Amino acid sequence: MPTSRAIRPSVQSALCLLTLGMAGGCAAAALDVTVVDEHGAPIELVAVYAVPDKPVASAPAKPTAVMDQKHKAFVPHVLVVQTGTSVDFPNNDTVSHHVYSFSDPKSFELPLYKGDAHPPLVFDKPGIVVLGCNIHDDMLGYIYVVDTPYFATTDDSGKARIAALPAGGYGVRVWTPRARPGDLPPDVTVTLDGADRGVALQIKGKLAAEHDQGGSGLSWQRY
Amino acid sequence: MATLLKLAAPSLALAALAGGALAADGDRHQVRIEVDAGHVAAHSDMGSWLDDGLGKLRYSEDDGGLNAGRVFLEYRGRIAPTLSTTIVADYVDDASAGLGLTEAYLEWRPIPASNNQHKVRAGAFYPPLSLENTETGWHSPFSYSYSAIDTWLGEEIRPIGVEWSMRRRLGFAGSPHELRVFAAGFYGNDPAGTLLWWRGWSMHDRQSRLNDELPLTPLPIWNFQGVIVGYREQYVEPFQEIDHEPGAYAGIEWRYARRVLLQLARYDNRADPNAFAAGYWGWHTAFTQVGVQLSLPWELGLLAQWLDGETYWIAGSRPDGTLSPVAALVEDGFESKYLMLSRAVRGNHRFSVRYDDFEIARKEGLPAIVSDEGHAWTFAYRYERSARLSAGLEWLRMESRRDLWRDFYAAPASATEWQLRLQMSYRVGMNTAP
Repeated sequence: MPTSRAIRPSVQSALCLLTLGMAGGCAAAALDVTVVDEHGAPIELVAVYAVPDKPVASAPAKPTAVMDQKHKAFVPHVLVVQTGTSVDFPNNDTVSHHVYSFSDPKSFELPLYKGDAHPPLVFDKPGIVVLGCNIHDDMLGYIYVVDTPYFATTDDSGKARIAALPAGGYGVRVWTPRARPGDLPPDVTVTLDGADRGVALQIKGKLAAEHDQGGSGLSWQRY
Repeated sequence: MATLLKLAAPSLALAALAGGALAADGDRHQVRIEVDAGHVAAHSDMGSWLDDGLGKLRYSEDDGGLNAGRVFLEYRGRIAPTLSTTIVADYVDDASAGLGLTEAYLEWRPIPASNNQHKVRAGAFYPPLSLENTETGWHSPFSYSYSAIDTWLGEEIRPIGVEWSMRRRLGFAGSPHELRVFAAGFYGNDPAGTLLWWRGWSMHDRQSRLNDELPLTPLPIWNFQGVIVGYREQYVEPFQEIDHEPGAYAGIEWRYARRVLLQLARYDNRADPNAFAAGYWGWHTAFTQVGVQLSLPWELGLLAQWLDGETYWIAGSRPDGTLSPVAALVEDGFESKYLMLSRAVRGNHRFSVRYDDFEIARKEGLPAIVSDEGHAWTFAYRYERSARLSAGLEWLRMESRRDLWRDFYAAPASATEWQLRLQMSYRVGMNTAP
């Protein structure tokens, strides 16, 4: 299972770091978010993102994100990217995959390939992109496209750290494919002033089973 | 056995050569070959049905010792990114021994444009009814002898036609609820039910090839006093088309992640039970099947299938219009169910136990005759040494009662048969994991 990925500081944050000490109000802080279910148990692979009150000066250089394919699975199962990010889809299996999505934010198809056969795709609309493989019915992955450079994914202890947030007000939101949209907690408003903050969020309602659960070794792809 | 091993070596060599030639093309051409062989100890008082005996299992005392179950080759070729072909060729050395095809079909999977994922298959293929037989070559990863239901599906049910299926995620993006529906129209399968009725329910891993001719228990010849005066050999080719009317099947399946699967399906060969062509009668055979698959705590897997059907064969008249001396009009119900628990230990050891229950009985209102009634226990252990090599041990014990044995063949009406198999499977794959 992939571990938590905190994003690299955006260019804006980097600029802030350069000017740190020279100008007030530009100090960067980290936001630690913990996500638990209705019983208080941590939830892994939850997208956590902070939407600033004031529009962020667009950070042009977004590093290319990677949605890998290993052992007939999308890795990570949930990938969070900022709008406008390029995503590469390398196939590191020995078998070919045929990756596609029919989701509204990005409908596409990467015909049958192995290795790095296709150039990265740009995800330029926010929302949920469900990934499938036309050869392997059981392969399922998600790209969650958010309109902010400040995001992370929870680790197996339900924790995610969004690093290098400039001072200001933010709406903190979460998303996981396992929760019904109505069960997701409402935005939590946080004001950062250069000091690290912690936020705990709870997802109400029963979570759907994890996609790969069921260690019985039964076959679920029959035809 | 010797013939089979003689065939196995050159076929592996040939496959290696072919694989080399095709390797340049990526995995566009995939070839898998498997050789199943082992040691069998078996007991049946009546021989094996495959050796023209009355026994219901694949092996009897006569088959003790080294046995080759099957050598098969599966070829998958990609014609276009969404169009592929699958061909499975089997070699077996019992009954109509030799080489034959078990499946040959084209599969089209258009790239989904919506939440509905469609798939179309055309050719000769297995209907998606077995929960056990999920491996290459329609093999079971659980036991060597399939359940009574899946054994019969492998013997007499092989649609030659077109199947459409669709799956759809229900609800929100990450919803674990999934619905599948499938429907097919097909030719062939008109004699389906013949072998089941004459021999009774069986449990083995011999899949009928499309050109197979299988032995039936001999047909009694009655005189006018109703006394059996002799027997005539009889055979069946299960996949013949006799009445030139298509059959159909359809089903619906619901899944919850990889935890729960429920399936309901209906099959009807729609054969004319009075039709006769090329030496074979049509048997009108239809059934309903319910399948359940569950992932339980402690890494236990549960599989269950329940099949309930009926078969009709009117042997009242010959095709030339003369009356047949066989008064045994078949209008029987058949039913079987199994429950299997399986547990994989440390990934490559698997223990499975299965209980099968089965019956074939004349419907009410006709002279009572229990065509078959019984149950069976199967205990299996399999060890996957590597992707190439696996080995295992299986114990199978079947108890059956058949009035037919007593009334038609002057044999005891009840029998207990058992079978112990120590088996090894060796697989090679070209452009694919074996």
